[in-house]
Amino acid sequence: MMSGESFSVASSIGGFGQEVQNTNPNPNPAAKKKRNLPGTPDPDAEVIALSPKTLMATNRFVCEICNKGFQRDQNLQLHRRGHNLPWKLRQRTNKEVRKKVYICPEKTCVHHDPSRALGDLTGIKKHFSRKHGEKKWKCEKCSKKYAVQSDWKAHSKTCGTREYKCDCGTLFSRKDSFITHRAFCDALADESARLTSLAAANNLNFGNDSMNDTVINPQPGLPLGASQFGSGFRPELSGMAINGNSLGVDQQKPRLSLWLNQANSQLNPTDMMGNSHLYASSSSTAFPEMMQAVSGNLFGSSSMPNFGNFNNQQFQGFDKSVSTSTNASLSLSALPHEMKEEGNKGNLVETLSSLYSDSQKKQSKPSMPMSATALLQKAAQMGSTTSNPSSIFGNSFGVMSSSSSNTTTSFNTVNQNRNELHQALQNSKQQAAENFTASGSVDGMLRSSNLSSLTTSTNSFDQLMMQTSGKQSDPVALKNHPGSNAIENSLTRDFLGMGGRESQRPFLAQELAKFASMSSAMGLSQFTGNH
Amino acid sequence: MAAVQEDGSSVTSSSHESSPWMRRSPGLGSPSPWIRELGSEERGLCLIRLLQECAVHVGTGSMENANLGLEHISHLASPDGDTMQRIAAYFTQALADRMLKGWPGLHKALNSTKLSSVSEEVLVQKLFFEFCPFLKVAYLITNQAIIEAMEGEKVVHIIDLYSIEPAQWINLLQMISARPEGPPHLKITGIHEQKGVLEQMALQLVEEADRLDIPFQFNPIVCKLENLDLESLGVKTGEALAVSSILKLHSLLATDDDMLRRDSPVALKNLQKVFHNRQRPLREFLDKDLINLYLASLDSTSTSSPLSLCASPKMESFLSSLWSLSPKLMVITEQEADHNGFTLMERVKKALNFYAALFDCLDSAVSRAPIERHKIEKMLFGEEIKNIIACEGAERKDRHEKLEKWISRLELAGFGRVPFSYYSRLQAGRLLQISNYGGYNFKEENGCFVICWKSIPLFSVSAWRRWSN
Repeated sequence: MMSGESFSVASSIGGFGQEVQNTNPNPNPAAKKKRNLPGTPDPDAEVIALSPKTLMATNRFVCEICNKGFQRDQNLQLHRRGHNLPWKLRQRTNKEVRKKVYICPEKTCVHHDPSRALGDLTGIKKHFSRKHGEKKWKCEKCSKKYAVQSDWKAHSKTCGTREYKCDCGTLFSRKDSFITHRAFCDALADESARLTSLAAANNLNFGNDSMNDTVINPQPGLPLGASQFGSGFRPELSGMAINGNSLGVDQQKPRLSLWLNQANSQLNPTDMMGNSHLYASSSSTAFPEMMQAVSGNLFGSSSMPNFGNFNNQQFQGFDKSVSTSTNASLSLSALPHEMKEEGNKGNLVETLSSLYSDSQKKQSKPSMPMSATALLQKAAQMGSTTSNPSSIFGNSFGVMSSSSSNTTTSFNTVNQNRNELHQALQNSKQQAAENFTASGSVDGMLRSSNLSSLTTSTNSFDQLMMQTSGKQSDPVALKNHPGSNAIENSLTRDFLGMGGRESQRPFLAQELAKFASMSSAMGLSQFTGNH
Repeated sequence: MAAVQEDGSSVTSSSHESSPWMRRSPGLGSPSPWIRELGSEERGLCLIRLLQECAVHVGTGSMENANLGLEHISHLASPDGDTMQRIAAYFTQALADRMLKGWPGLHKALNSTKLSSVSEEVLVQKLFFEFCPFLKVAYLITNQAIIEAMEGEKVVHIIDLYSIEPAQWINLLQMISARPEGPPHLKITGIHEQKGVLEQMALQLVEEADRLDIPFQFNPIVCKLENLDLESLGVKTGEALAVSSILKLHSLLATDDDMLRRDSPVALKNLQKVFHNRQRPLREFLDKDLINLYLASLDSTSTSSPLSLCASPKMESFLSSLWSLSPKLMVITEQEADHNGFTLMERVKKALNFYAALFDCLDSAVSRAPIERHKIEKMLFGEEIKNIIACEGAERKDRHEKLEKWISRLELAGFGRVPFSYYSRLQAGRLLQISNYGGYNFKEENGCFVICWKSIPLFSVSAWRRWSN
């Protein structure tokens, strides 16, 4: 449309119901009549501001002779013919017709600004009804309300005729919103995780066959048991097939089968999950590269223009220097044309990624290299289930103390504290937690009885871990605010208990925590309400 | 069966044969052969335990025990082992650094020949940008929010609080040149400590702007963020101002903690005063005020409550100068973790969880480029871990805080949240989906984005504007 300098909109609107002066003309005549983006009017158009009444009036065209009102201009003209007007008046005045644009009379509306006027009178009328009018039309089937009759009619034609349903139960009438939803749907992610785990072996074989098929012969097969996704996958498949072909069919097949064979051979021993290790780290061969290649190109082709550019321009170079073995030679310039809808891309990749991420998830269960986060969770759980944590630590400290040649007195204090600990274990968590911070939080203050403080603090640390492990082992719960808040609360309660005032503290601290978290929620929600 | 000792000193009553790793409790001063028996999972669990114990020792100042702990860990940890081993290596290094600070002369001597290489730092940032999607998503969301907020503006001035990655602004230049009303006059003020970084940035950005025919101006400011004088930035009235802060704002929270603890009621009162100047709606006022008053009355030396924020004079004054510049938009990306606790133990625990996730994530992204992974782990994550664990007071700059605290802070300073558009959510989600091998997702919390790895929140992005009544 327009390039170069931006223009300034200098028009001011007088009262309503008048026709108003122009926007600053910017010499940029359109060669042919093209449609502007909605809300970006031609700068040398005439801006017309109508009052709500005029806008909504049904009989806008009035015959000047008999004052009869008509809905359409053509009807009015037809009527005027009947008045036997002299020839000249019958013709429409042929001055140069200036394009008119209309603004919405509602002040708070975006389209109230002349620089965002709408080009069509019918358009502005519909807009006004839709946004600022009352919804008088109601669909019978689904009780959805509309302000504009044509909207209502259009909807009732398609209501209930064609629906997409996500596994989480939500219904969609539009394909694109359905696909977008699926991309984010949590239930779906869980579902696919379960599916892929259950049928991992089957999927592999199935996938192998179908992949080979598509490599040889671009067909609308379905990759990797992703049968739940729709036919929109075709473009991706043919794209991937092209991908494979460019590599050379021979290269592709053996690589895939190599990978899958490895997977199969690993399947036999104990874990089906063994292959997940394969996916994650060593499945270096075809799949990840294709993934990367696909993703690299998705970047390039999608409407996120620029990171794609980075990827290609700046960081392909980087890739080479960085020695990851991406096949930049997989020139996928053919791909963008294949990919129709971005939603599909998302889905394809989602399957693949869920496959990977899922397999990585599985890693946390078995004894093969566990992810660090899984280890931490397990440690937290173990900390909560060990029967006598105090004694363990007491023991090791006993060992250390004997070696570091402390006197027997310190040894005795260890034992004493162990007993104290046993008691502490019986008590509530809060008390234990407070004991912890009473000693542990002040660095070096209890240097004199460092061992005793150690035993108390580590035990209470375990208690703390027990508290938090309850939260950690359930990542879904972590998402919620209250969960993390509670952790914060428990910790901060400890701080307030600092300095040996534990006996009076617990109740107050708890109350405080509740109060603060309540009112914080109140305060914040009120704020968002103000938004 | 009690643990076997080489030197003959016996373990005291080991009535806990049930616990699996206790059986293999380390002997003293002996690299026991049992270590080789450990499977990777058991070794990982052992490392976690040892780390936590060691941290406790360090925290309470019992150096000898801490030393022993470190010794034990050193047999198990390694910077090129599996993930847990690597994490343990960096954590023990940080703990050791902390211990060494107790002997300042020794510490300084050991670090006396260290030369910080600017190019290495820049390289590491670039690697992190390339391999993990977090920065990309943050840039995407930031730029999309800027474009949306600056619709119709003719002059746009962006202040980049940590200007290191040209890709961010090149992206913006491209997006903004495609604006239907044409690109605005764009001015970017980049702030960084190193001149070379800014020069490189300027070069690339000016080149891109020329190519796209956008009137553009780059303003380099070579200084540390905490020394930044916002008034001198030359923000003219009539300019639409946007501020972008990526993983840097938390450094302004660094303050001398001891002073803080002592003066906490003063700090609280200051916060309240700041409040009053902002003329916020009365209700919110009352809610927050009530909490503060309640806290203050309870305990005059207490500094923490679920809502209370470590009052940081630098942050407050920075935010209030920002506020007075009337930015139209401020997008803040931060680590979603609470690494600003008062006690070492707290920070160690939280940092373990956070960096475990980050290491796992990096591992899955870069598993076939171990050199690069090592670089990122050592020079980026390792340095952050060292700062969190070994430093205190004004030196401890990596004070990550959770989103809810940022929200409180910014609201206190007079900013209101700007919701992200559906389109940016869509783009961010897609970008995450196609990144690496998956596993990323994001969720919305309080109208802000939180980018997660395997549902573990890692980074948060929030958008703000000056709250006006």
